[in-house]
Amino acid sequence: MTAGEVVFACRDLRYSYLGRFPALDGVSLDIRRGEKVALLGPNGCGKSTLLKLLDGLIFPDSGTFTAFGQEVTEDNLEDEQFSAGFRSRVGFVFQNSDTQVFSPTVREEVAFGCLQLGMSVMETAARVDDVLAMLDISDLADRAPFQLSGGQKKRVAIASVLVMNPQVLLFDEPTAALDPRTQAWLIELIGQLGAAGKTIVLATHDLDALDAIADRCLVFAENHTIAHAGAPGEILADRDLLLRANLIHERSRVTF
Amino acid sequence: MSSAVQTRRAPDWLLRGEAGLGPCGCGGTRRKGSFLEKTLSGGAGLLRQVMFSEDVAGRPGLLQRLDPRLKAVSLVVLLVAVGLVHHVSVLVGAYACTLVLAAASKLSIGFFVKRVWLFVPVFTGIVVLPATLSIVTPGEVVLPLWHWHGAPQGFTAQGLTTAALVVSRVATSVSLVVLLTLTTPWTRLLAALRALGVPRIFILIIGMAYRYVFLLLGTVTEMYEARKARTVSGGRHDRAARRFVTASAGALFGRAGHLSEEVHMAMVARGYRGNARTLHTFRLAPADALAAAVVLAAAVAIYGGDLLLGR
Repeated sequence: MTAGEVVFACRDLRYSYLGRFPALDGVSLDIRRGEKVALLGPNGCGKSTLLKLLDGLIFPDSGTFTAFGQEVTEDNLEDEQFSAGFRSRVGFVFQNSDTQVFSPTVREEVAFGCLQLGMSVMETAARVDDVLAMLDISDLADRAPFQLSGGQKKRVAIASVLVMNPQVLLFDEPTAALDPRTQAWLIELIGQLGAAGKTIVLATHDLDALDAIADRCLVFAENHTIAHAGAPGEILADRDLLLRANLIHERSRVTF
Repeated sequence: MSSAVQTRRAPDWLLRGEAGLGPCGCGGTRRKGSFLEKTLSGGAGLLRQVMFSEDVAGRPGLLQRLDPRLKAVSLVVLLVAVGLVHHVSVLVGAYACTLVLAAASKLSIGFFVKRVWLFVPVFTGIVVLPATLSIVTPGEVVLPLWHWHGAPQGFTAQGLTTAALVVSRVATSVSLVVLLTLTTPWTRLLAALRALGVPRIFILIIGMAYRYVFLLLGTVTEMYEARKARTVSGGRHDRAARRFVTASAGALFGRAGHLSEEVHMAMVARGYRGNARTLHTFRLAPADALAAAVVLAAAVAIYGGDLLLGR
């Protein structure tokens, strides 16, 4: 684990949908620069909600969320300088690529973030070409999203975030519904990004890849709190914890 | 923490084998699909057609090589010229030119003609039909249909000429529009409209509407297929289909709402603050200047030819 400065600090976060359905019930955590943190837990425990909160897309009912030393509130994000600073530093890859790939062509999609943050058209175009080449999707540049497969859409979604070169990357179930080859490619990419010093926070059910994609795990309980934190090896060795957290079944054969 | 999903014993009937509703062979009674099935298969056909059109628009043909802005402006110029013509022969000549352009742009002539003439009779023919009759357009009756106070009534030469003029004008205009849409990828067309001054937010909205209508169409098709896979009983299904339409419209409305919320979040996450910026990479080539001159000449020839033939 890297002991860098704290980039995200959450204190006693509570969030509920429609004021009735709790998603987070007193969550506190620190994310340090350069860390790779995996959020583990059963469906509906609050992992995706926490990621949206860390990206400043929703705001807690109570508790505080501080990013890069500044509290993130709806009011603060209306400030142009803070908004540009925050959005350029944090990238979010959504679970459903269809929601993220909204532009008419792949090239427009990948260029979207840089253009919104005020980068010049020439610089944006050069970055788009570089990222498309890196992810091996240059041939898709002028295709429409409805002509892409699920794996291709995921690559485009990742390209559209990487092109902004954010310091922190948030992934919501990155390997879900991908074929094994695309999964392996993505796990390798996350490893490379982590090695390059990016801070990575991801929600996942993929225990097989945990060692490669995380150096710290936060295990959510079904009561929407963090039940345990530890290194992947420690978490994977604790069969009782995995069972209690609904990450494996009694009949699961654990061979991590 | 506790295991959320408790495994309960399956009911006995589920563990017993059950005979099907009849032998798995043809009984001789066939049932046509409902209006719903036809509508949805039409929607799926539309999607296939759009994908095919995008492929055609990417082919290396004559019109595909031209700048989309030039094509959009040329379309307007030619539409005005065609709209001012009063002779069927000039319009037939202009229509023949669109066929030549379609062939030079590697479009299938059969597909191109069908695409135009499937709409023209429906939308124009019905409208102009009364104008061909002597009760609307008096004149020389060439095909009597009935008599009124001893005078023959029916199709008049003047009425038929007017109808032919309107139909040929519409067919030529629609052909020009179809030429543009079939030889320009949708995204290039949107970018061209933006470059020509159409407001950015308008382009963004229609671009996203076009993008997501296919996603929602896919969702509706999946909902219908899931229903069809569980539909066993015989009889007509129109009433059930209407119920399905209302129920799925509600479900789809909810999904569309959720989708729009997520899409907005995805935009905000990448810095969108209500004023979208987009890429534009258009450069006019010498061929575009030549094409502009040809278009102007064609417009002058169409209108001038019509004037030469007299009014």
